[in-house]
Amino acid sequence: MSLAATSVSEHGFDAWLAHKRSRRIKNWLIVAAGAAVLAWCVRDTILFDTDWARMGGALGIGGTLERFFWVDWSLAPKLLVPALETLMMATLGTILGCILSLPVAWFGAANVTPSRFILYPLGRFLMVLSRSIHEIIWALLFVGAVGLGALPGILAVAMRSIGFISKITAEAIENIDPKPVEAIRAVGGNQFQVMYYGIGPQILPVIIGTIIFEWDINIRRSAIMGLVGAGGLGLVFFRQMAMFNYGGVTLVVLAVLALIALGEVVSHFARKAVI
Amino acid sequence: MALASLQSIPAAPRRWSRYRHPQSTIRFAVLLAVLTFLAWSVAFLNVDLLRILGAFPRLAEILATRYFPPDLNYVSDADFIRSVIRTLEMSLLGGFFGVVFSIPLAWLAARNITFSRRIAYPLGRFAIMGSRSIHETIWTILFVTVLGFGMLAGTLALTVFCIGFAGKLFSDELEAIDMGPVDAMRSVGASPLQVFQYAVLPQVRVAFTGIAIYTWDVAFRAATVVGFFGGGGMGWYLKRTTQQLESTRVAAILLVIIALVLIAEIGSGWLRRRISRMR
Repeated sequence: MSLAATSVSEHGFDAWLAHKRSRRIKNWLIVAAGAAVLAWCVRDTILFDTDWARMGGALGIGGTLERFFWVDWSLAPKLLVPALETLMMATLGTILGCILSLPVAWFGAANVTPSRFILYPLGRFLMVLSRSIHEIIWALLFVGAVGLGALPGILAVAMRSIGFISKITAEAIENIDPKPVEAIRAVGGNQFQVMYYGIGPQILPVIIGTIIFEWDINIRRSAIMGLVGAGGLGLVFFRQMAMFNYGGVTLVVLAVLALIALGEVVSHFARKAVI
Repeated sequence: MALASLQSIPAAPRRWSRYRHPQSTIRFAVLLAVLTFLAWSVAFLNVDLLRILGAFPRLAEILATRYFPPDLNYVSDADFIRSVIRTLEMSLLGGFFGVVFSIPLAWLAARNITFSRRIAYPLGRFAIMGSRSIHETIWTILFVTVLGFGMLAGTLALTVFCIGFAGKLFSDELEAIDMGPVDAMRSVGASPLQVFQYAVLPQVRVAFTGIAIYTWDVAFRAATVVGFFGGGGMGWYLKRTTQQLESTRVAAILLVIIALVLIAEIGSGWLRRRISRMR
């Protein structure tokens, strides 16, 4: 009896040891494969593709960096209007993105979607599409469609925000408490009333938090819209770069940092007020 | 009698509202300020609201007429496929180095376990916020200016981008850990490194792996356009074809990007689910 029990436990111990050994070997194999892939990438990208001679050694790099170091403060007054434009572009883009993401979230939330076979996949697809295309590409497409100016920037920022806002909103809608919805249906509320009184109040805090978060990110995004033909700080950056005025470039980067710090403060207080 | 006297007291007409006087006024003022700012922005930026509505039909029309038959021969070219592989390599390297550098920075920037709140905390915080605040395309342009065209600049830009992206998620994760093991290790005299290795890391290992995979996913999305500004990879083809107005080729490249990002997203989602199940 006791002998049998011992042999079973010893057998179990051996099996456990063997399992642990095989697992360790597996982990080492994964690490080795990862290291090999990384080494291959380093060889391809850094060793073979880099023109070390043109870089001019440490002296050349130092010389270029030094030119960035002398900040061109004379540009500062000319940055106020572009900075304001960038902020406005981000704000309008976020608002437009919210408006556009409402139907997408409605289609893409499994429990309220009007049609599970056509509109639900469409909503999900639009969410992925919006996030998978980079804001630069959206801006290029819209510059082609509506011409230069702030409008393509606003539209690009809006299109890029749809994915995130509608995904979070759809998840919030899927996780709501169904009881208020049933109650409103039971007393004869129509579809709009169900949405406005049953779903809306439950998801509003989540949505507002997401919008504030997205606004914060959109400031960064709208700061580069000028690179492809929409206005704002990106345009000044592009021009300073084209003039090889690296001190001015540094100042624009500092202005972007200041703008984002401002956005960070505003969103901190806004989130505190909402939640 | 008593009823009559009760009825003679004039009832104060009170309407119920969720917010009382000072709060409701503040809410109203903030709402008004936001709306004023919006209206001012529309006026200042000269945005024609009707053109916003017209932009989507116009985009659809342009996509249908100019971009429509995507030039699939162009994207099945060997050079293009090599550039796609290079994009993948850049995103892997950028993601790897970004994660490696961002773990110590996140350690500094996590308020509960940083080794000095006066010096290290603001330093780590500033490094993460700085690399996060500047958009990856600006980093690309700066690195291209200093180091020349090529994948080195793109890889470095992606690394900085990943430091900002992963660093914030890592430090948020670190700030949410259970402090019990940390206090226990500290009270028996462990060094900060030992505390990190034995009390912090086991708690966040699974979450960190998931974040690292997600970081690669996001880095790959960014890597597709890094080449647009000289950073190497498929973005360069995008720039060339857009500037030559070869719209059908642009359409083909965009389709390739969407397909690749979809594959990356599905793959990383599958991996993350598997890893979170191992918890």
